[in-house]
Amino acid sequence: MKASNFIYIYEDSLEELLYTIYYLIQNRWKPIDIVSERNFVPNLVDESFKVKSNLLNIYEIWKERVGSPVLQTVKTVFLSSHPKKELILYYFLLHALKNPKTIYQHRDLKCVNEVLKIEKYVHRETHKMKGFLRFKEMKNGFLYAKMEPENCILFSLAYHFVRRMPNESFVIHDVKRNIYAFYTEKKLNFVEESQIKKLDLIFSDEELEMEKLWKTFFDTIAIQERENKNCQRNFMPKKYWKYLIEMGP
Amino acid sequence: MTIKEKLEILADSAKYDASCSSSGSARENKGGLGAGAISGICHSFSNDGRCISLLKILMTNCCMFDCKYCVNRKTNRVKRAIFTPEEICEITLSFYRRNYIEGLFLSSGVYKSPDYTMEKLIETIFLLRHKYHFSGYIHAKAIPGASDYLVKKLGLLVDRLSVNTELPSENGLKLLAPNKNYQKIEHIMDVVKQNKSKVFTPAGESTQMIIGASKDSDYDIMNRSSFLYETYDLKRVFYSAYISVNKDPFLPALELPPLQREHRLYQADFLLRFYHYKVEQLLDPLHPNFNILVDPKADWALRHLSEFPKEINKASYYDLLKVPGIGPTSAKKIIQGRKVFTITFEDLKKMGISVKRAKYFILCNGVYFANKEVFQKDFIEKNLVLETKEKIEDKKGQQLSLFYESE
Repeated sequence: MKASNFIYIYEDSLEELLYTIYYLIQNRWKPIDIVSERNFVPNLVDESFKVKSNLLNIYEIWKERVGSPVLQTVKTVFLSSHPKKELILYYFLLHALKNPKTIYQHRDLKCVNEVLKIEKYVHRETHKMKGFLRFKEMKNGFLYAKMEPENCILFSLAYHFVRRMPNESFVIHDVKRNIYAFYTEKKLNFVEESQIKKLDLIFSDEELEMEKLWKTFFDTIAIQERENKNCQRNFMPKKYWKYLIEMGP
Repeated sequence: MTIKEKLEILADSAKYDASCSSSGSARENKGGLGAGAISGICHSFSNDGRCISLLKILMTNCCMFDCKYCVNRKTNRVKRAIFTPEEICEITLSFYRRNYIEGLFLSSGVYKSPDYTMEKLIETIFLLRHKYHFSGYIHAKAIPGASDYLVKKLGLLVDRLSVNTELPSENGLKLLAPNKNYQKIEHIMDVVKQNKSKVFTPAGESTQMIIGASKDSDYDIMNRSSFLYETYDLKRVFYSAYISVNKDPFLPALELPPLQREHRLYQADFLLRFYHYKVEQLLDPLHPNFNILVDPKADWALRHLSEFPKEINKASYYDLLKVPGIGPTSAKKIIQGRKVFTITFEDLKKMGISVKRAKYFILCNGVYFANKEVFQKDFIEKNLVLETKEKIEDKKGQQLSLFYESE
């Protein structure tokens, strides 16, 4: 079998991707692309091949070979929405195997720079969303927030709020991916729409009043003589405005 | 008066305080509401581009002092309001649960007496911490002239305590803030410094100076900052471009706040704290003000061109920091990178290091970005200034006469 120059397909999870990359490197096969099953669109030119994992301890295998910081970086990059993240990770891991100790210093390699750029972007967006997320209070005491981040940051974001509001009940909805973080009675779960549907979601009596109060504060705290909307947009890009109460009408 | 009306008055009065930082405290959640975030979190950005991290309000804008630059001076006829401690707690907690804010910034006009005002601030924050078990970030202002035991009490409840220096010189303070003096202000800084610990103001203390209300030069201001950093271990000195709110014969009639000057002072402040510069390297009595057209570091480099260009693959960390456009993050990247490969101009770009300004001052593996003849003061200065002019012209409505500060 002539296995180089194939598009490799993996089954949508990080474990499967790690296995696919491991398998390719072991066989010295060079992919033209690696695509998740969900995103794969067949074309007439390229041949595709689906890899299926038969190993249980793929994390351990990689950890032993490249160390946990590299594996942590890979986990973060996997959360990104970058269309070529799999191929970038393939090259990154290929070089990490050769230089496990100095891989992060190799800024002359394109894949290292790409990986670090994506990793930074995911971290930055997580950090930004810790500030930009807006909860609305429901009659049943639940706090409910919607968001549409570029990257899949729901997991680390939810843990952030569990740490600071352990006694609350809240839902965070990633609208584009349609997944929910659901926290109540000190338990955090990641669930699908059907389980949220059971909740009675009506605004609490104070909710609209608090939103008005927040808008008042937001408008008052700006110094008119220093107005600088470019600067405001740089720090708080328009793509985040949709759910920001203070930027609404 | 409704809560909304009070908030309008008391947020409006607090907006001139520059600090909105929520970093430096890792206060843990102990079962109540809230926790610190060591890096700080910005929750929004107002129309002036400043970060909103804390609910920034005065407890009251009633004030017995008569500081000439202040909108709340005793002799001004403005609407006055007082928040009760419970009202402040309610807004703080409601905003915090909805993730609007990272915590509270509480300041106050001096009402009845400095001690009375401090007691009220303490009562409010005590309620937040002990009745409502709030562990979010709290920054409080200490009132100059308050008793030591009150400063100590407040310090144990908050993450950061600050007291405003107001003006960069004692004379300016006498003239414009006759009820305040340096001795009282510095005494509070000293009490905070002596008591600083993991539970007493874990995020340290900061201060603020008004720029452009008095005749002080940038040299005076930087010397004052440097003194404060060294003597009281301050975390930050904030600079606040003077905004003309009152008319007074002692105050300048500025139409626009001196924002570019404020910007240069912040740049110089960073040079003191993270780049190991001394005030004397940047300014001296003969050149007491920063060049508005070139940032202080580039200005220094232009005056010391004989030390350049620096070889990126050999220069020490401290030498790299002296290159305009290269900061601690880039310098560290370079040091790490050159251990495993030889860095070229292309590599710098790939590493995400901007060479727009740095290129005039560096060699990469012996290569200058253009022919060596352009390595001249005039040429470099012209290019750096051009860049600033473009930036300034970009900011609509801000007309700067090109030499107004340096003349």
